[in-house]
Amino acid sequence: MSKVNLQKGNVFLIDLTKCTGCRGCMVACKQWNQLKAEETDFFSGEGYQNPRDTSEHTFTLIKFREYEKNGQVEFSFYKEMCMHCDDPACVSVCPVNAFVKTPEGPVIYESDRCIGCRFCMIGCPFNMAKYEWSKKLPLVKKCDGCYSRVKEGLEPACVTACPTAIEYGPHAEMLKLAQQRLKEYPDRYIDKIYGKDEAGGTGVFYLTSEPFEGLGFETVTKRALPSYTWPALSLVPGIFLTMGAGLTAMTWITQRREHMEKEKNAKLDKQNSTESKEEQI
Amino acid sequence: MSAVQSISNEIKSYHWFVKLMLVLVIVGFISAIIRFVFGLGATTNLTDRYPWGLWVSFDIVTAVPLAAGAFTLGAIVHCFNIKKLEPLVRPAIVTGFLGYSLVCVGLLVDLGMPHKGWHVLFYWNLHSPMFEVAMCVFAYTTVLFIEFLSPVAEKFGWKFSLRVLRWFELPLVIAAASISTLHQSSLGTFFLIAVDKLHNLWYNPLLPLLFFMSAICAGMCIIILEAISCHKWMGQPNEDELLATLVKILPWTIGAYIIVRILSMVFLGGRPVFDNPVMTGLFAVEMGVGFILPFIMFFRMSTQNHVRFMGRAASLLIFGVVMNRFNVSMFGMMDPNEIYFPSMIESLVTIGIIAAHILLFVVIARHFPIFEHHTETEEEYPLPAYSRS
Repeated sequence: MSKVNLQKGNVFLIDLTKCTGCRGCMVACKQWNQLKAEETDFFSGEGYQNPRDTSEHTFTLIKFREYEKNGQVEFSFYKEMCMHCDDPACVSVCPVNAFVKTPEGPVIYESDRCIGCRFCMIGCPFNMAKYEWSKKLPLVKKCDGCYSRVKEGLEPACVTACPTAIEYGPHAEMLKLAQQRLKEYPDRYIDKIYGKDEAGGTGVFYLTSEPFEGLGFETVTKRALPSYTWPALSLVPGIFLTMGAGLTAMTWITQRREHMEKEKNAKLDKQNSTESKEEQI
Repeated sequence: MSAVQSISNEIKSYHWFVKLMLVLVIVGFISAIIRFVFGLGATTNLTDRYPWGLWVSFDIVTAVPLAAGAFTLGAIVHCFNIKKLEPLVRPAIVTGFLGYSLVCVGLLVDLGMPHKGWHVLFYWNLHSPMFEVAMCVFAYTTVLFIEFLSPVAEKFGWKFSLRVLRWFELPLVIAAASISTLHQSSLGTFFLIAVDKLHNLWYNPLLPLLFFMSAICAGMCIIILEAISCHKWMGQPNEDELLATLVKILPWTIGAYIIVRILSMVFLGGRPVFDNPVMTGLFAVEMGVGFILPFIMFFRMSTQNHVRFMGRAASLLIFGVVMNRFNVSMFGMMDPNEIYFPSMIESLVTIGIIAAHILLFVVIARHFPIFEHHTETEEEYPLPAYSRS
């Protein structure tokens, strides 16, 4: 399905070792997308983070993790958001084509088409499609990579707001930058770019100093998600025709056999009756 | 006599159980209205963690295989030419038609934007299993509706329609089986996308094939249960002799399912299978009680030439298929820290849908000729020439 030229699409490079946890990105996201404030609880989530999860009102969330290093308590932060996959599950599972992977990079959602089946939420390996449970006629809500800004040559709101950690630019450039950092400061980073291969490649690359699993990153398959369903779906026309033709042939054969038997019996009956007539004569 | 009076007289003549069904349908209908007035979030326990709940797991993913009797029996009778099972076809078609109509009702209740449901027919996405299933369910419900018109035309004596329907009978049977093969299996394809969410005991690249095979077994078992119930409670003749044919077929289909199920789990899984005692327990109950036990029962009945336990065996297998669909679509994706349990409204709507199925079946059976061994139709309107050559 990936007709989009990935080299041209933009990618977020998020260096979590540089994140200070200021949550300016969250504020900028709320402002640009005009999202409602949420009533929150401290410590309802995994640590100091607030609110607990991304939702219809929160498209991006800084998650807090505490860990011990050299006997000292350290903080690590993780910016959760839509990963803007190269070959997204949401695009493939949506029965009405409401999701589109744009050539600019963002995966966007055309709300007019949505029928509300919520298959995108089941399909998304990162659980980033959220539903408007507060509404009577709910739609799906997720980060759209500030498509309206990117289309006009601006950077996404969270990138503009971030003082330290987020770079945004073409896929090849960001990959090069990430690899360069890993090479130059091997003792600062875990030697892995999360998002480069996850779900067949995504539009968000992460660098961290701590193992990704411990920070709350989902362990996700390296294959593009649609490649799991397409082998079965591509067989559909073949199965339909084979089944139709097979059953038609089966019907014809069984009925033909029945017909032949009837004819044979009729013939035998006739013979028998003529024989008996001859005997009578 | 006014219409209201005749309806109230009709209801008064029902058995208490049917009256209870009527009450449950009314309660379910009111619950559905409450769901539409207050919205999904307020009336269900669905969350971002559990976007699919009881309505998807039962009303769609489970109800579709339970309605598989119509196409299975149609193919057995007409394509494999086992004509003596013909008397069971009509009740099976009525059950199938009701089942699929109620799947559509369940789908509309579950959709967030039900008024836009028709978009599926308009904005095609060939990569979506949901699109495929929606198209098939739409097409197959239409086919079942046309098949269901036969008893209606018979009742009102529309001779011309009967002749036309008779002409289309075989093509419809073949279309029904082909379409059903597609969507029964595509329901399994739904969950192939949940590769990191569904537990490995159920996640498997052959899920579509397994869904199709188990649907065929479930369809035949529903026919057995239906015939037994109609004999017991609706004064219909004892069909044990006919059902013995199905008892002979079932060990083969269930056996094939069990073999493919186990082999695919052993060879195609690739990840740890027995790492979670709760999941292992669910799997053991599903497989042991729901498939292996009924397999042994059907196998023994068919070798010993009797049908004594067929009701019990059929119920066990249906339990197995229901359990399998719930394991795949709900339990196998459960997060132990945040367990989903259906809300009151969700439960009442689903109970209402099940009750509606029973109620409508009884009402249709009362007013339309679905049990009669309708030989007069066959004599008066023989099969078209193309099938007699």
